[in-house]
Amino acid sequence: MVVEQMAGNLIQGLVLGAVYGMATMGLSLIFGVLKVVNVGHGAFIMVGAFIALLLFNTLGINPVLAVPLAFLFGLGLGLLFYYSVMQRLIKAPELATLLATFSLGLLLQEVVKLLFGSEYRGYNWAVGKIDLGITVLPMSKLYACAGSALIAVLLYLWFNKTRAGSAMRSVVEDSEGARVCGVNVGAAYALSFSLGIGLTVASGVLLTMFIPVGINPYMGGHYTLKAFVIAVLGGLASPYGAFFGGLVFGLLENGSYTLFALIPGVEPFALTRFFSFLMLLIILLIRPTGLLSEKRT
Amino acid sequence: MNLRVFKRLMLIVAAVGFVLIGCQKPESKAPEKKAETAAEKTAAAPDKPAAGLDKILIGHPACLSGKYAKAGEQAVGGIKAALDWVNNTYGGVTLGGRKVPLEYIYYDCESAKEAVTSLIGRLAMSDKVHVVFSPYSSGLTLRGAPVTEANKILYMDHGGASNAIFRQGFKYIVQTIGPATSYHQGTLNMIKATDPAAKKVALAYEDSEFAKMVMEGAREHARKLGFEIVFERTYPKGVTDLTPLLSALKASNPDFILGGGHFEDGQLFNRQMADLGIDTKALSLIAAATLPAFYEALTNMAEGVMGPSHWEYGVKYSEREAKKVGLQWIGPSQDEFVALFKKAVGKEMIPDYHAAEAAAQVLAYTLAVEKANSVEVDPVRAALGDLTFMSFYGGWDVDDTGMQVGHTMVDVQWQNGERVIVWPPEAQTGKPVYPMPTFAEKAQGKKAIAGM
Amino acid sequence: MNRVTQYYPILPVLLAYAILFIVGQTVSGTWQLVATLLFYCAMGQAFNIFLGMTGYVDFGYVAFMGMGTYGMALAITRLAHLPGLGAVVIVIGFGLALLMATLLSLAVGAVALRLRGAYFAIATIGVNEGFRFLIEGARIWNGAEGMIFTAQLVNIVGSERASRLMTYWADVMVLAIAVLAAAVTLFYMRNRVGYALTALREDEDAAKVMGINVTKYKIIAFITSACFAGLVGAASWALKTPYVFPPEVFEIHYTVEAIIIVMLGGAGTLLGPIVGGLIYGISKYYLSIFLPGLQLLVFAPIIIVIIVMFPEGVVGVLKNRTRNTALGRFII
Repeated sequence: MVVEQMAGNLIQGLVLGAVYGMATMGLSLIFGVLKVVNVGHGAFIMVGAFIALLLFNTLGINPVLAVPLAFLFGLGLGLLFYYSVMQRLIKAPELATLLATFSLGLLLQEVVKLLFGSEYRGYNWAVGKIDLGITVLPMSKLYACAGSALIAVLLYLWFNKTRAGSAMRSVVEDSEGARVCGVNVGAAYALSFSLGIGLTVASGVLLTMFIPVGINPYMGGHYTLKAFVIAVLGGLASPYGAFFGGLVFGLLENGSYTLFALIPGVEPFALTRFFSFLMLLIILLIRPTGLLSEKRT
Repeated sequence: MNLRVFKRLMLIVAAVGFVLIGCQKPESKAPEKKAETAAEKTAAAPDKPAAGLDKILIGHPACLSGKYAKAGEQAVGGIKAALDWVNNTYGGVTLGGRKVPLEYIYYDCESAKEAVTSLIGRLAMSDKVHVVFSPYSSGLTLRGAPVTEANKILYMDHGGASNAIFRQGFKYIVQTIGPATSYHQGTLNMIKATDPAAKKVALAYEDSEFAKMVMEGAREHARKLGFEIVFERTYPKGVTDLTPLLSALKASNPDFILGGGHFEDGQLFNRQMADLGIDTKALSLIAAATLPAFYEALTNMAEGVMGPSHWEYGVKYSEREAKKVGLQWIGPSQDEFVALFKKAVGKEMIPDYHAAEAAAQVLAYTLAVEKANSVEVDPVRAALGDLTFMSFYGGWDVDDTGMQVGHTMVDVQWQNGERVIVWPPEAQTGKPVYPMPTFAEKAQGKKAIAGM
Repeated sequence: MNRVTQYYPILPVLLAYAILFIVGQTVSGTWQLVATLLFYCAMGQAFNIFLGMTGYVDFGYVAFMGMGTYGMALAITRLAHLPGLGAVVIVIGFGLALLMATLLSLAVGAVALRLRGAYFAIATIGVNEGFRFLIEGARIWNGAEGMIFTAQLVNIVGSERASRLMTYWADVMVLAIAVLAAAVTLFYMRNRVGYALTALREDEDAAKVMGINVTKYKIIAFITSACFAGLVGAASWALKTPYVFPPEVFEIHYTVEAIIIVMLGGAGTLLGPIVGGLIYGISKYYLSIFLPGLQLLVFAPIIIVIIVMFPEGVVGVLKNRTRNTALGRFII
């Protein structure tokens, strides 16, 4: 019984983890290149969720098609924010960029609230489900999982096989060195910031395929904290590391529930959260550069 | 020290001080602009009193932004609607033989406790309001209580359901919303009456002060009625995936499920039960399930799902009903209230119980002032203690501590896209659909329709 | 600079707090506003000791305020039934708040202070969230239900004095904590701690090479900052608002507010947290009165504009402008 439940939870955790991972790649990309922690991360996820919701509910557009649209919207948003705000803060102290990204997130939340209200909303994309015996998986979750994996692979290929991608990698390694070698560092910053935002907004769509309810302007906060943990698991500066970090996180969070439920007199669900943050601290102590990073310091 | 420098320094600091004090002056005019009806109302009244009170002020640190913005918007709309009725239909509050209009001053506390006290301080001392309406949630309500107590101002609570508020020895706090422990008692009664064979109940609530108090009430009542509690777990606030908890719940094989906490987790709860195909005879979720957004978000999956509510459009409280049970009646009828609410918020929005309870509170205050023939805090508090009445919101009566005991909750069920009141029998607008359709049936488009 | 003149910068601080206090006492209806402003200033002042002097961003800073709140709450709830203790319970509460904040800061310091930059920031978030979920999950100190203890407070000091405590003395205590935090900040700035931390902030590796015991001074600043946070929590949360719910006292939002305050005023300056706290508190207060429901929409762009235009904060700019003038002696 317990084993069966745990196996079911692990499967669910893996699927969820893929989406979590995808939702963190943008954060890692921005940190990797610009060394900026996007504190407003969750708000961009929220924007993606609203795009999925509105496209589905008003135009009947399938959320799978909403992913590229959200990505393009995010690219535009990223460029706008980069040239209007972030560009001026690249040389400023860390604190200034933290505060700037926080305020941008706040602004997005309030604008969305003003436009669409603070109601909790959702949509229902019925595409059937598969019964695995130990657990049931809706197809929309599987699409979200597959979509996330595909995007992670595409990003990996882009980074490693294209000129722009390797230029970006050189900035991650050593921005001064890259400048000397003729890489346009400013353009790389702009590109990776908007790419990171694009990925994050797109991941918002994928998240709604996993959880299509509870969409409201303030929903992003939970994901910001999760993304921080996942990003560290994956090495913080590595977008595809973040993807694997997401998988690990999903497995930990869902898998440990069954074990904690065996302890009498506790709240197992809250303990799973404790456990994932404990793992974060242990990993930071042992390998500050992340569980899955190939680099060593 | 160089004297010139010292002077300059003084100048800078004094400037900061003046900004502080200076800002104080112009603001005192601001509330007048915001209060729509009162000014013109008093001017139009034929027997405008030369001396004495010409308006009664209600102050409110409303939650218009931040995490409680949804409930806050509703409450402000409800209060404005009730004010409109009292001033324009009822003609004002009778005080010393004159009709005195109500005026409403509200600020936005941003759902943050720091702002609650500073705004109540302002309402109490600068605006000199006669009563303060609480912000949403038990925590924020508790935050404001010491300030209103110290200023000896009546504090009416339409947003804090925790029973603990009334165990702290506050003198001037009076509740309109029912206490948390009563939320799921009616639901249990209903199931007991409908299906004597149902034995096994699962409880799964949010891990928060409010929801746990609901759970405590449900647990005790379930034991009293002879139910067996086969599952009892909580989930943390801000949860994004309930799968592990629901899988364990499924294994306990309950006859029916009670749970919930707030809005988003309630939607998630229902949605993921559908995803995992967990079928049960009845599912009742607090807070989330009674709102229109719940059905909009979940569509057919919400069919047959229930929720306890303080008030719902369709309740049968009316002047006739009041006469039947021997209670005084006041206020607009249900439909009049809905119309006034829409006018107040300026859009097509249906009021939910946050609006209704805030409006009922205005009516309670109106009656209490009339009864006490005073706006002084002690007589009005005493009058509220003695007061029992009925309005479109239902009964109203508080015990010695100020806790609401006269209001019964109703149980609402989604039937064919409509909210139907299924319990208690005297408030019913339809029969409960029990057991509710399975999720597989609902995915095929089956609705929960009574008598099928 | 002689020993006396180097402490001149405390004068504008004292003056600002004195004016705040007098305004709150004389202008009707402003005391609660002043109390909120004092809370923001005290929080900023405490946060600045670590963030301003080391440049490390402790996102989990609110956990220390939470610890202080729990310390005071535990003292009141566990000792309320003992007769004859009276107001001593409050003193014990402050002691417990200090102790618990110190213990947590030692634990966090051991884990996180080895990390730098974003890794440090995220580790501290981990501690904050992890600790909150431990309290909820293992049902420590009443778990997620928290504690509501106005009634016990009334038991201890009587209802009149409890009321005065919640609406007046708690705020005066916050004021005292803010002044003390400012004094300690200045003291550090003028001593070895400050010199070492300045070197650290400029270049940590170089400071190490120069033989400065970087870790020691970091820990000193960290614990000091945590202790003041604990005191602020005990006074402004547990005494002013006698309840404690874990999600509220571990709410990251307060760390963000502290960052905004320090940043607006100027990180690492003495006067910065006061200026930042006043700008933040006053603008939010009036926005919530004039534009209820829209204030965050207006507030967010204002913050962005200020950051872009004055990345060093208001006092930071003022400091540079007044450098080498007679006024400069008072502004750091």
